[in-house]
Amino acid sequence: MAKKSKNQDLDLKAAKMLFNEYLERGREEKPIDLPKGTVKIDDLKRKQALEKLYKLVDDIIRKIYATGRPSITLPSRTSSNIIWDEENDLLLLGEQIMEKQFHSLTSVADITRLMRVLEKVNELLIKDLHATKREIFYSDVKLFQDQKNSDKSIEDVATMLYTTRNSTHIVASAKGSCIGRLRIRDKNDIIDLEGLGSGGWTISPMLDNIEIIESDAEFILVVEKDAAMIRLSEDRFWRKYPCIILTAKGAADIATRMFLRRLNKDLNLPVFSLVDSDPYGHYIHSVYLRGSKRLSYESPFLATPEIKLLGVLTRDLDKYKVPKDCRLPMNKMDIKRTKELLNEDFVKNNKQWEQDLKLALNLKIKAEIQALSSHGFEFLTDQYLPEKLTTGDWI
Amino acid sequence: MRIFYKKGGGAIQLIDKEKMLEWPVELPLIFIEYIRNNQLKLYEDTRVQKEVEAYLDEILKDVAIPRLISVLEGDDLEEIILALTRIEEISNKNIEMINPIKPYLEKLSNIENKQIEKLIQNISTQFQKAERKKELAKKRKVMREKEKLFLEGKINGEEYAKARKEYLTLKD
Repeated sequence: MAKKSKNQDLDLKAAKMLFNEYLERGREEKPIDLPKGTVKIDDLKRKQALEKLYKLVDDIIRKIYATGRPSITLPSRTSSNIIWDEENDLLLLGEQIMEKQFHSLTSVADITRLMRVLEKVNELLIKDLHATKREIFYSDVKLFQDQKNSDKSIEDVATMLYTTRNSTHIVASAKGSCIGRLRIRDKNDIIDLEGLGSGGWTISPMLDNIEIIESDAEFILVVEKDAAMIRLSEDRFWRKYPCIILTAKGAADIATRMFLRRLNKDLNLPVFSLVDSDPYGHYIHSVYLRGSKRLSYESPFLATPEIKLLGVLTRDLDKYKVPKDCRLPMNKMDIKRTKELLNEDFVKNNKQWEQDLKLALNLKIKAEIQALSSHGFEFLTDQYLPEKLTTGDWI
Repeated sequence: MRIFYKKGGGAIQLIDKEKMLEWPVELPLIFIEYIRNNQLKLYEDTRVQKEVEAYLDEILKDVAIPRLISVLEGDDLEEIILALTRIEEISNKNIEMINPIKPYLEKLSNIENKQIEKLIQNISTQFQKAERKKELAKKRKVMREKEKLFLEGKINGEEYAKARKEYLTLKD
């Protein structure tokens, strides 16, 4: 373990330097230039989304009158059409287009579902309401039959409109939570994220109603697990170290990723992730970093390309003397997943990350964040995090 | 965001006032009060506190008051009542904040609506109280000057008594 420093020495120097750097640079930030051959998706306001929807329906009607054989086109979401934008470190949708015809027998159900979702989106936008994917499914169970079908149509509608799913007012259920040095506006209410008890604020999926109004935080900490969040929350970590903490309680959901991106963009704060030292933890970090393949068309609105992997790194296990019996052996699936990650371009291009995954593969070990509590419950908040943020020990 | 750098490092970030132009009409005032009452004291750095105070005044002058005025000049009675209710609340706390609205209140007194009449009455009372307070402070200053001169023998008792009487009459 690194020699235990006195707490006053843990001044988070490295994290603060990064914050100042971001603040300086933030004023000159330019919008992302998407590479050629990728589709541009816009985050739309309600009125704009409605206009786009009406134009789409007008086009369909015109086609019906003109040819009698109408069809609609939308960008393909197959893996062959997903492009990694090396410069911006994002997964994006390519320009391959697929056509859905209205007149073939096989596509009848598909098209009817799509039009039903369009109808629901129109209703939501006009009434300025939001609905979950589950509610859309229940709006016509007979037609959708399975939620997988309605979910697919929802994603199709978003890509057809070249917009984010949130712009269609169809949102995912709330899952993540956030706590710390932040004040937000939710419509007419001002919410203080320091004053909501140890559970914090449940991240709203209706992010178009949310606005960041004040913060004196100096960094953002994303934690994979609720258990780690509880530890940080009980310790009131943000009081001692001015920060905002959020968790998606496992895999990163859309609302949490979108909110994290908003925080990072609006406040120019450095973002660090604390995940399990296993391939699933590293994958979760990668989803925050560059987005998931499934939702690649929304990546520019969901990804936080500057997020740093703070821990738990494989190299930390020896450095912080995590006892052998707190480390777990990798199973076949872990090994397979680690190898898959090592094959990803974004890992290959990050030597430190590649090294850490190779080390895990060599030692065939993994560990959970909670393994750090073998040194005491306060070790995470009093020693591990402050030390890493002070020395800049991240990937 | 508007950034205020702290002396020892770190920063306070507050939303840009331009973004408040799309807020509900009463919200910029709620924001100002919220930051003043809850956050300002936590900023520790006195220079930053002063800068934030100045920014809040800027929001009041450039966004909050003009937005309220635009509502008061409009025809939507419901909106006018909502705005007046907020103005009344503020008038109880800091009447100076709503001074620019005074002329518009007079125009509104022509509207026949009991709720509006009552709100205007309450706000006007606060203005009168504030006016009286100001007047009283002025008279007190004069009386103290006269008292000093009287003790130094530079004016006679009658002149001092007159100033004191004026002050006490207003005070009562």
